[in-house]
Amino acid sequence: MSTPALIGLVFGVGAVTFFFRYAMIGLFASNRLPGWLHALCRHIAPASFAALTASALFIDAGAVSIALDAPKPWAALVAALVAWRSGNVLATIGAGMAALYVLKFFL
Amino acid sequence: MSRPALREFLTGCRDEAPLLLGAVPFGILYGISALAAGVPAWLAQLASAVVFAGAAQLVIVQMLAAGAGMVPTALTSGLLNLRHLLYSASMATYLGHLPRHWRMVLAYLLTDEAYAIAVLRYQARPPAEGPDLRHWYFLGAGFTLWSAWQLSTAFGLVFGAAIPPEWELDFAVPLTFIALLTLLLRERPGQAAALAAGAGALLLAGLPFKLGLVFAIVLGLAAGMWTASRLERVR
Repeated sequence: MSTPALIGLVFGVGAVTFFFRYAMIGLFASNRLPGWLHALCRHIAPASFAALTASALFIDAGAVSIALDAPKPWAALVAALVAWRSGNVLATIGAGMAALYVLKFFL
Repeated sequence: MSRPALREFLTGCRDEAPLLLGAVPFGILYGISALAAGVPAWLAQLASAVVFAGAAQLVIVQMLAAGAGMVPTALTSGLLNLRHLLYSASMATYLGHLPRHWRMVLAYLLTDEAYAIAVLRYQARPPAEGPDLRHWYFLGAGFTLWSAWQLSTAFGLVFGAAIPPEWELDFAVPLTFIALLTLLLRERPGQAAALAAGAGALLLAGLPFKLGLVFAIVLGLAAGMWTASRLERVR
């Protein structure tokens, strides 16, 4: 993406984010939001992270590529196990990176 | 600033401090991976001030690295920030009496970490006597996180420029998503949302500009809502 496009993206997302933050405090002066919005917001993070993770691990140059000798999905599996057992974000990153380096050496 | 206001501000700074431990590594990681995704350093730093939302900034960087177009990237990160509308609604009762410039500054500082600290202060108890100075507390908490976010971004940018790309430190971004996912997936609807979105991302990978990611997330949201309503009906 070109630099002017990136600048537009940054200010666009910044404006939308500020709007969300300011909307109820400054514009509508109300604390009433429909229940479905609360429910929807609970699912946004898991859905976004899952889509991005799947895409980072299994999509190469716009096409699905599932290869047994690709190091990243295996490193991600190690990271997921550590995340599940420890619940610690930094430990997960550490284990995943260490697994990636070891696997890149052997695969 | 009066003395009691200053005391309130500094208490906010102090109470926010433990949360920096969680935020600073993400700021550093954001700086490193922004460079790896080809974002100019000055713009990556500017984004930390303009957007000031950790998860959304990491998502933007991850999507740029994957070659996503402007519209899908803006939609995904915008959607991820929708939860701030809930925080805004939750704080509206407490901040409604403040002048506009105060409400604008505090809205700008309304991140997950500042909200978590400030809302506790507001819910605890109204001040026994004297004027309500809790907005100074919120300002202290928000300012502390803001400063740490800018500094950790800068550190990541400097550090990121010094390490070779073969280290693949940007792989830490999907690893972070995996860690957060594992923490978020305690409930059935969240699991359904993640599963549908993950599968959707692969099935729709052929769409241009990575628009498949946006549709995959919408698919995940539908699956999450549907599962939640089904569970509701069973109960």
